[in-house]
Amino acid sequence: MRTMRLSSKQKIIPWALAASLALAACSGDTTAAPLDEADGDSATGDITLTVWSWDATVEQSVAGFEAANPGIKVEVANVGSSMDEYTSLDNAIQAGSGVPDLVMFEYFAIPYFAIPGKLTDLTEFGAQDLENDYVASAWSNVTMGTDAVYALPSDYGPAVLFWNADTFAKAGLTEAPATWDEYYEAAKAIRALGGDYYIDHDTGDLFGLLAMIWQAGGRPFKVDGNDITIDFSEPETVKVLEFRQKMLDEGLLGDSVTAWSDDWNRALNDGTLATQNMGGWLTSSLIERAPDQSGNWRIALLPQWEAGEKVGAENGGSSFGIPTDAAHKEEAYKFLEYFTNGDGLQPRVDAGAFVPNLSVLDSPEFQDASNAFFGDEKTGAVLAEASEIAATGWQYPPFFEWARTVYADICAPLYTDHEGTLEGVFETWRERMVEYGNEQGFTVK
Amino acid sequence: MALATEAPPASPPRRKQRAGFVVRFRNRQIGWLFIAPFCVLFLLVFIVPIFYAGYLSLFQQRMVGGDVFAGVANYQKLFGDSQFWDGVVRVALFTAIQVPIMLFCSMCLALAIDSRRLYGTKFLRLTIFLPYAVPAIVSTLMWGFMLGVRYGLFRQLNQWLGTDVNPFTPSTTMISIGVMVTWAFTGYNMLIFYSALKSVPHELYEAAAVDGANQWQVIRAIKFPAMRGSLVVTIIFSIIGTFQIFNEPQILPSMVSNSGITTYYTPNLYAYNLAFTGSQQGYAAALALVMAAMTVAIAYAVQIHGMRKALNG
Repeated sequence: MRTMRLSSKQKIIPWALAASLALAACSGDTTAAPLDEADGDSATGDITLTVWSWDATVEQSVAGFEAANPGIKVEVANVGSSMDEYTSLDNAIQAGSGVPDLVMFEYFAIPYFAIPGKLTDLTEFGAQDLENDYVASAWSNVTMGTDAVYALPSDYGPAVLFWNADTFAKAGLTEAPATWDEYYEAAKAIRALGGDYYIDHDTGDLFGLLAMIWQAGGRPFKVDGNDITIDFSEPETVKVLEFRQKMLDEGLLGDSVTAWSDDWNRALNDGTLATQNMGGWLTSSLIERAPDQSGNWRIALLPQWEAGEKVGAENGGSSFGIPTDAAHKEEAYKFLEYFTNGDGLQPRVDAGAFVPNLSVLDSPEFQDASNAFFGDEKTGAVLAEASEIAATGWQYPPFFEWARTVYADICAPLYTDHEGTLEGVFETWRERMVEYGNEQGFTVK
Repeated sequence: MALATEAPPASPPRRKQRAGFVVRFRNRQIGWLFIAPFCVLFLLVFIVPIFYAGYLSLFQQRMVGGDVFAGVANYQKLFGDSQFWDGVVRVALFTAIQVPIMLFCSMCLALAIDSRRLYGTKFLRLTIFLPYAVPAIVSTLMWGFMLGVRYGLFRQLNQWLGTDVNPFTPSTTMISIGVMVTWAFTGYNMLIFYSALKSVPHELYEAAAVDGANQWQVIRAIKFPAMRGSLVVTIIFSIIGTFQIFNEPQILPSMVSNSGITTYYTPNLYAYNLAFTGSQQGYAAALALVMAAMTVAIAYAVQIHGMRKALNG
């Protein structure tokens, strides 16, 4: 008997080895976790959740969750940011192995996975009851305007205007622009300082521009299941494009600094870059990017299109969803709720996460938070207000990830050789999206 | 041996024939065994992926409806895709200009090191070769910082000289990439030329000296012919390399603005973007195969041309 057992084991081992090698070769480090998990299941009855996240604050909630839920272990893996992660997830789903239990998605990426049925509808776990704790716009991102809930918001990017009070003072300005017309006048004053001074640079910044359209009331993308309408001719959209065109034509926006580059960090740090129309998430990293400007930067609501109005928009933000092929959905939801709404939320906020939960945004601690880097301004209150006034109803087409890379190609001649207009760029962009979308099986008009 | 004893002794010639056949057959089998490891690996890492790419290229991946068999539709689309041809023309032009310049530099350096009139040739050889050991990603970052006009070395250069040269405009980016590639591969090609020069028998030089040949005559009559074989090899390597340019245009856009680099700047970059941001793996596979066919065709053309020249010369 003993020898028989041995021999059958001997037969199996090489195959098992070969199989695991093949798996490892297919999807790299991502298979390590599920393999461990299988071991755990048989040995102790423990379940190991695999979480893919490039948001480091999620790690802060793990210890508390594991203590409160014996038998569930959480492994947070950073398999790359944004596109890199989505590619890995697509590969894992296609290979049918190594699919994680919880995955981080930027809001615009949700339709890409939800429409082909790759995401679990969280209403089966009661996620719809959490709606009231979220700012309206964040919630409409994860439901995509349907009754389903495809993810829970985990961080948020209210569009705000970062402005350098010191640079503004040099140009004789004391206040952040309240309207876009004031912004235009401020741009002229700052450009008059000469040198490298600009109110902002634009080398084809799509998200800043879309946030302005969003705020103005344009809704160029309409998604209804597989039917998609793309329309950049709404008066609200045209107004924004014309405004931006005017600023470009008059040379009020610089053309040499791209966001996230080394040049950008330097321009933020030497004060020549006076404003940034970005998401609230820049708050924490701006401190590292511009140490020499400590005390000079401020945060304000986006300038308004009509004086006296208070309308906001969104510029980025992320959520977590459960893939349809995940192995431990119920436990995954438990953890998801824990770190987005439960006891795990506060440790993440303390670690610097900016979350769209009203319970956090409206809390006195958050409202009163100030920072010497921002001249002791109560930045928490500004960011909370910007989140709560963000307009709803914006939709992204499911192929937006593709569309944004193509936009860079299409707008390049405008920004490098000043050929054409922004409206022309958007029209070409629309045509390319219609062609691509129809090829992808959607009905795009 | 066993067969030999079993066979009837009455017909010796036939027996001999049969034994010979068996031995030959066995030898053949053993031969296969020897090359089996290579064959298996070759099949797994070379043949199978090519066929798999061919298989993939017959499908279209759709977000709605999944994979759909498309026949040759991907290829038809590719031949009419102006973005693809834009990239092909760009790398072809790049190859036509960069490769001759680089190989000329390599040859000059190899001749200089082989001339025995320089001190420290070993050190020089290693130094010139060293950029080849720098990963392309690191070298792109390095050159990006040096050539950047806003804060890079070039800004200071422009200030000193009072010029306004920007190495990263749509019309100059390709030249900058050419500088990076030349920097990286000149030393590598130089070593190939140098090893060819090293293999020239010393007697030839002695004979030339006896005949009273000067240095230029030695170079023309002995050294150039010796390098001709290497030249074909280096040209083929360089063409394959330049047709696959990817790292530089992939990294530069995140460092410098308005460089003119598009998602279809080179065919390889286009294939990458099609597959990874457009989820069009089938189309990307078709592109890769067509590019591979083109590269092979050009490489063969160079080789045949080079061999014919070598025979005539």
